[in-house]
Amino acid sequence: MNMIFLLLFSSMLFAETSATDEKLIGVFYMKPLLGHVHQSAVKESASLTTIQCAHPVKVIETSRVQTDPLWAYVEVADHRGFILKDYLSEKRPDCFQARYPKFYDSLNLDLAELYYWGRLYDHYVQGHTRVH
Amino acid sequence: MITMFKVTLASISLVLGMAAMAAPKLQEEKELELVDFKSVKKVLQKDGLSQSVKLKEKKVEAMKKEQFVVEKSRYTYPTQDELWGFVSEYWLVKNAQLLQWDFQKPDYGLEKSFASVLEGMGFYQKKFKILLLNNPSLVRAGLPGSDGEVILLLSVPFIRSLDLSKLEISLLLLEDFFRIEQGYFKKAVETEKLRTLAGTNFHGGKPDQSMVQELMTKYDKQINETGFTFQQQFETTKKMDSFLKSNPELWNSYFRLLGKIDRMVKTNNQYKDYIRLYPSPEMQVKWLSPPEKVL
Repeated sequence: MNMIFLLLFSSMLFAETSATDEKLIGVFYMKPLLGHVHQSAVKESASLTTIQCAHPVKVIETSRVQTDPLWAYVEVADHRGFILKDYLSEKRPDCFQARYPKFYDSLNLDLAELYYWGRLYDHYVQGHTRVH
Repeated sequence: MITMFKVTLASISLVLGMAAMAAPKLQEEKELELVDFKSVKKVLQKDGLSQSVKLKEKKVEAMKKEQFVVEKSRYTYPTQDELWGFVSEYWLVKNAQLLQWDFQKPDYGLEKSFASVLEGMGFYQKKFKILLLNNPSLVRAGLPGSDGEVILLLSVPFIRSLDLSKLEISLLLLEDFFRIEQGYFKKAVETEKLRTLAGTNFHGGKPDQSMVQELMTKYDKQINETGFTFQQQFETTKKMDSFLKSNPELWNSYFRLLGKIDRMVKTNNQYKDYIRLYPSPEMQVKWLSPPEKVL
């Protein structure tokens, strides 16, 4: 009896710790045309899922996952992974797909193309010059 | 007597049944039956009800118009500027396996070094995207992006073969940046359909997919077959010359770089197509060299 009580108590304690430890930072939106939720905080890491521009993602903070300052730890549907912070926006972005839906749909992009388009943004070395 | 009663009962139930089968009347219809609106028309007008009905009708009409405008806007082709960026990226996606840009690449720190070279030349508020390729057959290319952006492609095997420094890579990118700024690529690739369809509406029809297909074919041809003319190369080299002259260190690096490329394309069979697309490093060196004095 004591043993069962002890087990119950310890599991309750664990649940409480994991619940308080995890914090929802907020809901953000994908900025590029297409992008990936990565398995790890590395541009070339495997993709868990491909998402389109304006797709909402939950940004989470937890002590269990150490995140690179450039990356956000996110939850999208059943997946938890990483997205570059530069690709997330607090406001719903004005996406190409939304501005030209019929033109975009007419291209009938297949799965491989959607995948590669998302990867493209991971592989770009992007830069800009200062304002004079 | 009983039979008579049964017949009457049957006929009553038949009539009631038929009445029940007829379509039920709307509440409004029932009200219309009860009230003779004509007789109360003046009262309604006094109450301003007919005015509010008119207002409602106008509102509905405006909403319908608005809805139509929104619906129609869904059938718009992107503007020329947006199309350039979109088609350039679509071409990169379509040729992903061939170009082999999806690989783990070295970090050359190009975002900073190229930005600093551009700023040194006085180019401010310029956006660029660099895509490194793991393919020796496509050495370099510059593609137009949207919103004044340029997309620059460069082969990592080529960088390694020449053992290029960060500065030399930036100078190669600067050449391609100038080619894009001069509009050589757009002029070579632009189609009639792009000019006439971009930004227009195709409501009630289907988008002309051949516009994108034609552009893709012309991208292929320009990048893999046609390349640039001697005249364009001369103009680009002279532009590099005039921009780098104020910085002797950069000018010398560029001059040495052209010599390196010239020697390699002449000796390494892997890069034999380079001269056809970018004619020619040997001539570029000559254009930059001071004229020989004739005694």
